[in-house]
This record gives sequence, structure tokens and C-alpha cells, in this order.
Amino acid sequence: MNPEPIITARGVTRRFGGLVALDGIDLDVPRGVVQAIIGPNGSGKTTLLNALSGASHADTGSIRVGGHEIFRLKPYRIARLGLARTFQNIRIFENLSVIENVKVAAACNSPTSLFNILTANARHRHSEADIDRNAREALEIVGLAHRANDRATQLPYAQQRLLEIARALASKPNVLLLDEPAAGMNMTESMTLLDTIARLKNSGITILLVEHNVRLVMGISDRVTVLDFGKKIAEGAPSDVQRNPLVIEAYLGRRHRHA
Amino acid sequence: MKPPKMNSWPILAASIAAALAVPIVAHDGYIIQLLNIAILNAIVVLGLNFVTGWAGQINFGQAAFYGLGAYTTAIATKAGLPWITTPFLSVIVVMAASLMLGLPTMRLRTYYLAMTTIGFGEIIRLIIVHWEPVTGGTSGLRAIPGISIFGFGPQGQIQHYYLLIAVLLLAILIAARVRHSVLGRAMIATRDSEIAAEQSGVDTVRTKLLAFMIGAVYAGLAGCLYASSIRFISPDSFSGTQAILLMTMLIVGGMGSIAGCIIGAVALTILPEALRFLGQWYLVLYGLGVIAVIVLAPGGLASLASLSQARRASVH
Repeated sequence: MNPEPIITARGVTRRFGGLVALDGIDLDVPRGVVQAIIGPNGSGKTTLLNALSGASHADTGSIRVGGHEIFRLKPYRIARLGLARTFQNIRIFENLSVIENVKVAAACNSPTSLFNILTANARHRHSEADIDRNAREALEIVGLAHRANDRATQLPYAQQRLLEIARALASKPNVLLLDEPAAGMNMTESMTLLDTIARLKNSGITILLVEHNVRLVMGISDRVTVLDFGKKIAEGAPSDVQRNPLVIEAYLGRRHRHA
Repeated sequence: MKPPKMNSWPILAASIAAALAVPIVAHDGYIIQLLNIAILNAIVVLGLNFVTGWAGQINFGQAAFYGLGAYTTAIATKAGLPWITTPFLSVIVVMAASLMLGLPTMRLRTYYLAMTTIGFGEIIRLIIVHWEPVTGGTSGLRAIPGISIFGFGPQGQIQHYYLLIAVLLLAILIAARVRHSVLGRAMIATRDSEIAAEQSGVDTVRTKLLAFMIGAVYAGLAGCLYASSIRFISPDSFSGTQAILLMTMLIVGGMGSIAGCIIGAVALTILPEALRFLGQWYLVLYGLGVIAVIVLAPGGLASLASLSQARRASVH
């Protein structure tokens, strides 16, 4: 493991009116790991993901991704620095085909000018060919290559989640944030997803995932961060976290009582 | 908004052939004049499609950009400038105007652009109406010099018709090229989910601004051609009512569809004239027709073709 973490967040705080959704969170994500953020409903998991990706900025704090300070940077700039994400509530581009959805992100690092587009010059054709190749590769990884030319809305729900992952991958990210990727998936689909996540990790992408299904997370994660009421209450290897009394009380314990 | 299919080429070729054959059948100058206006409207609606159909921003300023191009051209040529300068002047004026309007509003949500462009349209109309010595006020400008490139220019309405058809084809080609490029995909992504587009690396503010400005340039150039081919302009042609009519053409034809833009513009330019024999009743029929399309074919007239195709496919 590379000693310098790819994500370093310090004192990240986010308030919604009187509610402190994130209360001075410190987070380190080492390069090349799968790290999970777990916690009860409303503990601030998605808020943290939004702060990291720039979708909804933190009020105070410092967030460094790959050595760049990204606090309050526009989301598209953060994306271009190599941080991609998926959404808990699927946000595919409904009026684009499957491959076009992915191409939007594949163009992330292929700047083009209107002049190039209108003249369809060699540079334009070159970059479109690159984009096409990257997009097809990304669809291949999640197993959606055969649906490339379908309307994105024609995909079943679980495949729309995979499409979001393909879209995120197409921007060639160093870090991939997955917000409840297994939500709405059946057992088989979840197992395939885990397999895909493992392959992505092996290809060198750092993965930070928020997941509700704790059992799912424990199997694939190298590290687990536990949030409760906007505070980080535990962090470490899955087995250590599971034994942490604070976690059992705040999260696992509460679940057991409900059960 | 679907990817191009090979089977759309015969339809395109047939449409072009039909368009080229029209003057052989219709000798009536009035009909050709009407078609010329329909073509100009089609170019303006194609422009509106970039920002509204694809980037999803509501723009009621398109008629004002149309007017800006027309008045810039009329004033410049009447002042003695050679015609060849007018497309450039029109483009400069509409680009400056759209940049000034777009820069502050594109950061905000959709309806701010709608409100800003309504205000902008009204400002342009008021300037045209009240700056009488230059714009001719409510009576407009007459006897505008025609298109002339170093002494050569179309003579008569039929030659204008062919010229406008050529410009429309170029406008279609550019729109299709943008649609199937990084920029076109970014526009539609921005409309479908601004946050997902941003997180995919799309600078949505720049994308919306570009869509708005390309649309304004389409309108400005159409205005330039309007002034120098119809040779008479008045504020009515570029009013707020016209802005709403352009939006209606886009919706009835089919938002986001290039073919839809042309179908909508041609249908809604010709229909009021075709229904003129009904007198006052034409408005009722016209309104009912528009409502029928919106209710029965929410994707616009252009979507009817693909609907019937799908139905045929399901039968077989």
C-alpha cells in the first residue's frame, strides 16, 4: 500500500440549517483499496460522498484528492482530476443511448473546440474514435456491451446501475465513489457486482463505497469507516470494526434490536 | 434524439428532392414567399433546439435574436454597407447580446433564463419601436437592399427559395454534426441531469452558454437573410408572440429532433395561411390542433413516424 492516501479529508463539516450532517470528519483513503462507509440512516454517508465529489459542497474543511485541494471546486473539475461517482438514485441520461451515456464521461479528458466539431477535422475524428473506444471498453467491463445502441431507459433497473458504473469508469478515474451500488439488485446481480468491484480494484482504481448492506461490504472492503450522526466513530479493517463496541452499539446493535 | 440510422437517408434524399421540385409545381409567388418564410423559421427553430431541445433551457429570446439580425442587416445595407458584411455584423451583434444575457443567467436555474429572455425580447421590441429614425418604428423598414455578393445575387422569389434551401441544409448539417459530437451529448446530458453531467466532467455552464449562443447565431443569420430576401421588416415579425410561436413550432415538431424542427416550423408557418378561409375560426382550429399534437404525440410530429414504425414492427 502506497503510504500517501489518495483522499485526505480534514475537518469536513456540513450543516443543513440546525442539523449538523457532517461534524468535522477526517478521512484517509489509501491508494488501491476498497473502503466502505457505513452507518445508520441519516448518519451522513451520502452527504460525505457529495462533499467529496463536489455535488454539494462542505461548509468548512479541507479535501485533497491525489494531492489537489478540491474543496469548493466545481464538480466537473473534480471529475477531471480523476474522481468519478455513481448515484444512489439513478441519474442516467434518459435521452441518450447506452453508449452515448458513457461517451459523455469518456470525453472528460478530450477537450475539443467548436471549430474542430464543425469542420470534422482529423483531430475531431481522432478524439471521437478515442471516446468511442473508451466507452466500449467501459461497457465491456460491466457487461453491457451488447446493449450499446439501446436507449438508456430501455435497460432494467439493475443494468442502469451498471451503466452508471460504466459511465464513471469511462472518465478513467483514480478514485471511484459508489453510492449504494447494490440497491435494488437481487442476489445474483449483487454477486456479479462484487466481482466487478474486485476486478476494478485489481486494475488499480481506489474504490470508496457507501452501502447499506453491511454483510455485502464486509466481504470486499479492505477498510471500513463508520459514521453516526455525522461523526466518524470507527475506522479500520472490517473484522476490527465489527468488534468495536461503539459500532455495535450505534449501528449493529441498533439493527439487532430492530430485528 | 436517436442515433442516426442508415434508413433515414432515403427519407432525407426524398425530402430534398421534394423541396427542390416545389417551385416547378407552385408558380404562385405568394406560396413561394410563404415557403421562404417557413424555411427561415425552420433555421431559427433549429437554433432554438440547441438550447431548449437539447440543453433544456427555456429561451424566449429567439425572436429577438432573429430581429437583431434582421435590423442589423437592414440598417447596415440601407446605410450603404455592402451586403457581404451583413452576415458577419449580424453574427457579431447576436453573439455579443447572447453572451451578455447568457453569462449571468446560465449559472442559475432554467426559469431565470426564461424570465431574462422574455425581458430581453421586450427591450429589443421597445428599442425597435421607439428608435424611429433608425428602425422606422412600428411601420418598419422597406426597400431593404437584396442579397448581393460582389454583384451576384438571387433574382426573384424562386432563386431566393433555392438559396434558402441550401442554407437550411447547411444549418441541418451543422446541427447533426454538433448532435453527434462531444458537445451535443454534453447538451443532452445537461438537460437530463445537470449534476450527473457535471460529475462526468461536463462543464454545464459552458455547455448551456454555447448552446444558447449557437442558437442565437442561427437566429441572427436567419434574420439577416429575412431582411435581405423579404426586403421588408417590422417589429411584429420579432415580437414576444413570435417567440412563443417559435417555441410552439419546436414543441409541436418534436423537441430535440432535427426533423421535428423543420416539420414544426413549416407546418405552423403554412397552417395559419391555409386555414385563412375559415376567418376567425382558424384560431380555434389552430389551437385545437396544437393541443391535439401535444396530448396525442408528446414527442411531437416527428415522433409519429417512429411510433408508426414501432407499431408496424410489433405487428410483424
